[in-house]
Amino acid sequence: MAEISFPLPDLGEGLIEATVLEWLVEPGQQVERNQAIVELETTKSALELPSPQAGKVVRIHGAPGDTINVGEPLIVFEVPDDTAGIVGTVPKDEAPKRRVRLSAVLDED
Amino acid sequence: MSETITAAPGIETAAAGVRQMSMQQALNRALDEILAENPKTVIFGEDCGRLGGVFRITDGLQAKHGEDRVFDTPLAESGILGMSVGLAMAGFHPIPEVQFDGFAYPAINQIVCQIARMNYRSRGTLPMPITLRVPSFGGIRAPEHHGESLESLFAHVPGLKVVSPSTPHDAYHLLKYAATRPDPVIFMEPKSRYWQKGPVDLTNALPSTTTHDGDPSNGGSLTGARVAREGRHLTLVAWGAMVARCLQVAELAAEDGIDVEVLDLRWLKPIDAEALATSVGKTRRAVVVHEAPLTSGLGAEVAQLITQSCFATLKAPVERVTGFDVPYPSGDLEDEYIPNIDRILFGIQRVLEYRRG
Repeated sequence: MAEISFPLPDLGEGLIEATVLEWLVEPGQQVERNQAIVELETTKSALELPSPQAGKVVRIHGAPGDTINVGEPLIVFEVPDDTAGIVGTVPKDEAPKRRVRLSAVLDED
Repeated sequence: MSETITAAPGIETAAAGVRQMSMQQALNRALDEILAENPKTVIFGEDCGRLGGVFRITDGLQAKHGEDRVFDTPLAESGILGMSVGLAMAGFHPIPEVQFDGFAYPAINQIVCQIARMNYRSRGTLPMPITLRVPSFGGIRAPEHHGESLESLFAHVPGLKVVSPSTPHDAYHLLKYAATRPDPVIFMEPKSRYWQKGPVDLTNALPSTTTHDGDPSNGGSLTGARVAREGRHLTLVAWGAMVARCLQVAELAAEDGIDVEVLDLRWLKPIDAEALATSVGKTRRAVVVHEAPLTSGLGAEVAQLITQSCFATLKAPVERVTGFDVPYPSGDLEDEYIPNIDRILFGIQRVLEYRRG
């Protein structure tokens, strides 16, 4: 397994920090890509941050009320080694499904 | 040239030197060994160094072999390939990586006008022993530029060799073989097959394996095609990720009493015309399957080679089952584009139904 740390991104217009309002996920939880993970407040607005990727949450940084600077760790995910960093989806090995049947009279000359 | 592999149940896959590996692991091991065996080898590309590549193919190689032999480059494919030209001129054996096939386009000038021609232009004094690794084809539902089928583009360029492995065993041995070639080789890795495991016979380079039981069977060569499954009635010709799908189709066709042979072309330039003649000479029917668009796809070349050698005995025109003449679709739309089992079965049925006159 590999750990991937996601730092607080610039939430727009060059803001340098954000305050944690509420975590929507907790360590040990499996999250999907784009799932809301945390509510943050900046000097401009409050917003829900979507998860940048799928994975298991290992650590979250900052309790409600804490201020985090842009670029500092926000959340750490654990992902399988072979999927770490991949763009796209690892294909599943599925049993082949068919709708077409073959019919032929074969001359065995 | 060709190599015939007969399924031989009962051969121990645990034989000395044979182990289960994913293609990812097989390629990583091959690169590790190439670095150790040839001090002139350098590996580089976007994220190839510290991260170990987005597909983990170069994982751990920088730590083991040093930052001057395995390193990251800027996001500039023309620079990656241009640097390869200079390194090759200076006596190095570069193994650059283009992170995704769609990123090869910005480097086409360097590939076509420099790498492919330098040996010719210099009358053989400046060979280009470059192995360009390109994670290729679709199947991982990636965004645009992350899934393409560029084989006919590369195969059309004199001076380039093009190869695509379909199994971990072939990936290991073909990469090691490509890295020893004096000519530039475009090494197209089927990215949707990176994670599936298969038997790799590390000690025996020549035989390849069937997907059935991984038998390290009779000899052959790494320069030709590979019979992935033997059959009597029809030959499916494929390469890369389509080989596994064609093997599934062959199993389904067998339920209907049709005995399908699957020929894994492996080398897309030069194409093993002899293997095509041998296989279709026996089965007298052929369907070629590829992900790339139909028009000017490599299937046309394959069909012509088969027609040339087997015209008198062919039961039907060679059929093509391919992607469509549209930009390679991203995300879930891939499923509608890449030849699926039913479309390949339809292609087989069209050939079986064909009657002269």
